[in-house]
Amino acid sequence: MDSLRYISNERIKDYQESVRRAEREAAVRKRRSEKTSDSDSGSRGRKKGRFYGFFSQQSGMDMPFFFLVIILLVIGLVMMFSASYAFAYYTMGDSYYYLIRQGIFAAVGIVVMLLFSRIDYRILHKFAVIILGIAFLLATVVLFLPAVNNVHRWIGVGIFTIQASEILKFAIVLFYAHWAIVHYDKMDTFVSGVLPAIIIGGISIILLVMEPHYSAIVIMTLLLAIMMWISGVKVRWFVMGAGVVVAAFFIMQVTGMLKYAMERLDGWGMALEENLSSDMQTTVWQTMNSLYAIGSGGLTGLGLGQSREKYLYLPEPQNDFVFSIVIEELGLIGGIIILAIFALLVWRGIMISLRAKDRFGMLLGVGLVSQIGLQVVLNILVITDTLPNTGISLPFFSYGGSSLIMLLAQMGIVLSISRNSNINKT
Amino acid sequence: MANIGSNRTVISRSKKWLVVLLLVGFGLAIGRLFYFSIIKGDELQQKAYSLQLRDTTISAKRGSIYDTNGKTLAQSATVWQVVLAPAYFKTDEQRTYVAQRLAEILDLDQNDVYEKTKEKTYYSVVKRKVETVEKDKVLKLSQELAKKYNLGNVIELIEDYKRYYPYGDFASTIIGFTGMDGVGREGIEYQYDTQLTGTPGRVITAKDVHGTEMPYKYEQKIDAQDGNNITLTIDETIQHIMEKYLQQGIKQHKVQDRAVAIMMEVKTGAILGMAVEGGYDLNDPFTIADSNTQKEIDKLPNSEKEAAEVEALQKQWRNKAVADTYYPGSVFKVITSCMGWSEGVITDSSTYTCTGSYVPFEGASAIHCHNTAGHGTQTYKQALSNSCNPAFMMIGQAVGAEKFWEYYQAFGFSEKTGIDLPGEQSDIFFGDGSGKMQPMDLAVASFGQNFAITPIQMVTAISSVGNGGKLMQPYIVKEITDSDGNVVESKTPIVKRQVVSEEVTKKVIDAMEENATTGSAKNGYVAGYKVAGKTGTSEKKIYHNDGSQEYIASFCGFAPADDPQVCLLVYLDDPVGDSYYGSAVAAPVFANIMSEVLPYLNVEAEYTEEEIAQMDTTAENYVGKSVSEAENLVSSGGFTPVVMGSGDTVISQVPTAQSRLPQQGTVVLYTDEESMSDDVVEVPDLTNMTVAQANSTAAMYNLNISVVGSNADGEGISYSQGIKAGSKVKSGTVISVNFEQDSNYGNGVM
Repeated sequence: MDSLRYISNERIKDYQESVRRAEREAAVRKRRSEKTSDSDSGSRGRKKGRFYGFFSQQSGMDMPFFFLVIILLVIGLVMMFSASYAFAYYTMGDSYYYLIRQGIFAAVGIVVMLLFSRIDYRILHKFAVIILGIAFLLATVVLFLPAVNNVHRWIGVGIFTIQASEILKFAIVLFYAHWAIVHYDKMDTFVSGVLPAIIIGGISIILLVMEPHYSAIVIMTLLLAIMMWISGVKVRWFVMGAGVVVAAFFIMQVTGMLKYAMERLDGWGMALEENLSSDMQTTVWQTMNSLYAIGSGGLTGLGLGQSREKYLYLPEPQNDFVFSIVIEELGLIGGIIILAIFALLVWRGIMISLRAKDRFGMLLGVGLVSQIGLQVVLNILVITDTLPNTGISLPFFSYGGSSLIMLLAQMGIVLSISRNSNINKT
Repeated sequence: MANIGSNRTVISRSKKWLVVLLLVGFGLAIGRLFYFSIIKGDELQQKAYSLQLRDTTISAKRGSIYDTNGKTLAQSATVWQVVLAPAYFKTDEQRTYVAQRLAEILDLDQNDVYEKTKEKTYYSVVKRKVETVEKDKVLKLSQELAKKYNLGNVIELIEDYKRYYPYGDFASTIIGFTGMDGVGREGIEYQYDTQLTGTPGRVITAKDVHGTEMPYKYEQKIDAQDGNNITLTIDETIQHIMEKYLQQGIKQHKVQDRAVAIMMEVKTGAILGMAVEGGYDLNDPFTIADSNTQKEIDKLPNSEKEAAEVEALQKQWRNKAVADTYYPGSVFKVITSCMGWSEGVITDSSTYTCTGSYVPFEGASAIHCHNTAGHGTQTYKQALSNSCNPAFMMIGQAVGAEKFWEYYQAFGFSEKTGIDLPGEQSDIFFGDGSGKMQPMDLAVASFGQNFAITPIQMVTAISSVGNGGKLMQPYIVKEITDSDGNVVESKTPIVKRQVVSEEVTKKVIDAMEENATTGSAKNGYVAGYKVAGKTGTSEKKIYHNDGSQEYIASFCGFAPADDPQVCLLVYLDDPVGDSYYGSAVAAPVFANIMSEVLPYLNVEAEYTEEEIAQMDTTAENYVGKSVSEAENLVSSGGFTPVVMGSGDTVISQVPTAQSRLPQQGTVVLYTDEESMSDDVVEVPDLTNMTVAQANSTAAMYNLNISVVGSNADGEGISYSQGIKAGSKVKSGTVISVNFEQDSNYGNGVM
């Protein structure tokens, strides 16, 4: 085991090369065996045409996960359209404004996802540090770009706008997975397990505070914690970390800073309070209408397309608050079904990752899938005024071209992992 | 890789994380969604509604009021309500412009409208009851605003209704009116308000943040249910006849405190007419109709004006026929008669001796009869014809206080009649209302003094005498139909009770008929009809400044006496003209009304020979005929022909064909143009003459008279004429002459 302590990039490359070769040989063997036996029974031996062959199990991609992604993408697109068309009509003069764009992004995103699923994820080992470097660079550059809605979050690249934090989240997951592989045997130490997290986390927090983008801080912190947790960092560090957070909250509560913070954080938790100042009313307007939408939906909803809140009461219903409109139209039942699909996706994604042939795949896959699960939960906590309204989009639902493509690319990586995963993929 | 132990850590820790994420994370998310969508759902939905929904009321059309023949007495027509949604205004320039234009179109004060444009609401009523002409202008303005400022939704026009009364001041106290809010204020409009009102509808529409309607199915419309229509028992023709003659009576006898006439269908209790004069214009109920009252109010200092105006309006609106009480006076002797006959204290052989005054019991002061010389010994019939007070005091005493009170109750005086009109008053009986009477109370009550009842109670009770003793429930609404014409409610006559036997009523009717033919009530006689009636002159116990007392002149009776159809009470409050007696003031009004109403109701007339001789007949058309032929025709028609000119054929005639003129009246036949232009007669003075004198005088001038106000016997003295003396008219012209009964006949009738 000692010999692996100073594992070099060279050695990783060799290892990857050997695995790839073995796989290629296995695939060829399998294809040959199928060609010879047409009547191979069961799920494994169906004959496929060229097109279906791409999706077939021989290519090794996990079909349940793939279809869960597609299902969510389709539902998300429909609901985003339903939520946005009135707003689009009033602000853009075209009800289909967001649908058309999101549709194009989704199509591009699917292609990107399939492309990434074909690329061996292990190649990312090489780029982990570079990607983190680029992410930090972009997160710095964005601070010097003109603010949109008073925040520095977006970088324009042609017709795209990229959220710097989207790349940063991915980069951190990737980097930590990479780091944990390289230092796999020292992850229980402070220096190897905790310190890098504190360093990259600290830098990120500073950059994100300057944007500001508090929700990204929350997601990123949680993602780092998850990565540390699954990488084998000792439990006591988590206890200490949790202790620090609780103590901080307690102090803020005692000193009254929490209340101040809540007000500063878009009237967090105050959406339904009576007698708010007109400034605060404006601040909580979006959250308040989100709650009105959820309340109007009740158990069974007003019916698809029948939201009233989307008629300009709920500002920007295509973005973070799209799920409020989903509840208004489809009710709690519809919302729970969608959340169940998300849960299935997360469960499947983590199962795929845990059966990956290598630990890098495991860590990367769990990290990427966790990010979706986290974002879903945090998004819903935001629209229910449980967390401050600070910009957490709902994966597959919220409008946003670059983040959708980014998301689908990440799903492509999970699919790529699934190709090497020892799991029944049909 | 070979680090199996570490992989195991990854797997177990990942699975723990997965469980936490799904259970805690997703669980918390679903929990929060559950909390807001289910637990707080209704509350939040209500709040959302208050943001999103605009509720507009659709007025229900108020039902119409018809007379018994379906003539419209009250109806609603569409008008518009102009409503501003001033919250949409963006600049002060827009506010000023809209205020200026609206003030101009709707004839409002520009500053008032401007104040409204500054309100921060979506609903501010600018003007109600706007007619279609103005509405169209406002609509144009709204379209202009849409183009000019993109403010198409700032003015809203809401359909509304306005009440119209086609006959103006006709039957005003019965019909009543509605306030600005469309709620019935008086009369039938008030009494049947819920029936007439209907149920307003609502339109609930969802609006976006800018107030534009959202598409799709949120619109909820609840149609307005129009109000029900009401058909009265009132007959417009009868009501008009009653109002006409009441007005005439008021003018002629200088009546100070309004006059009432109620006509009831004897067999059903249906009110055919209920006139309270002076009335007021229902289309303008807040103007004091009586110009004298208005003048007096104008003289008052400003501080007292408002209270005086309110008082005057309330008096003008009050339905005197049901809301005021009065001493019934001698009309009540009919009721006392019924008691007497019923109790057997009056018989065909009973006699009553009147010495001019009567001491009802020992120690009491004498009560005078109106004929202080005394009526001598009379039968019951004579006593009623003489309206002799001592005779009726004797009858009353014979009946006794207890029985008197029982009959009083039985005739319905102690209870409200229950007529479906608002504001009905209760009677005011002696003492504490328990029916206990002192001996003096009984004495004066026997001739209808010192207790007060309402006119509707009086007419209902007298009507029961005409109805064989059956007391009917008076009613004024015949039928209620919904807006589609389906009958909702149909009134059937209600017999309250048999008060006295039919035999008793026959005895009383017999006396009443004689009374109305030859007795004190003969001014109420109607040619061709058997009328049963009784006069009344009640003391109001209110004294004028000069010490003279205020009186109420009344007459109540029914016709025909042998099969009573209609019962009529005429009541004039405080006449200060030549006479205040019921016989002189109220009886002619009664007779005039009956003489027109009975033929209208197709009650067959039976004229005496005398009457036929007196009757007016209709001139035929003689134009185009040869002179001799025309002369023959005129003569055979019962008229006197006078030929003017030298032509062979008649080219014109006076009076024209179909004119009514008296027997032996003059018909002038013109035979050439010259004779027509030359023929001018100066009208003579026809006043202070008997009917015969007036007739012969007119004939001397080749003129005709139309007799007004005289009975079939042609009694009475003329006091005015339709065309003034000295006027130039053509020969043959019919001049109406008004006669008044010799005041001696009605002298002193209580």
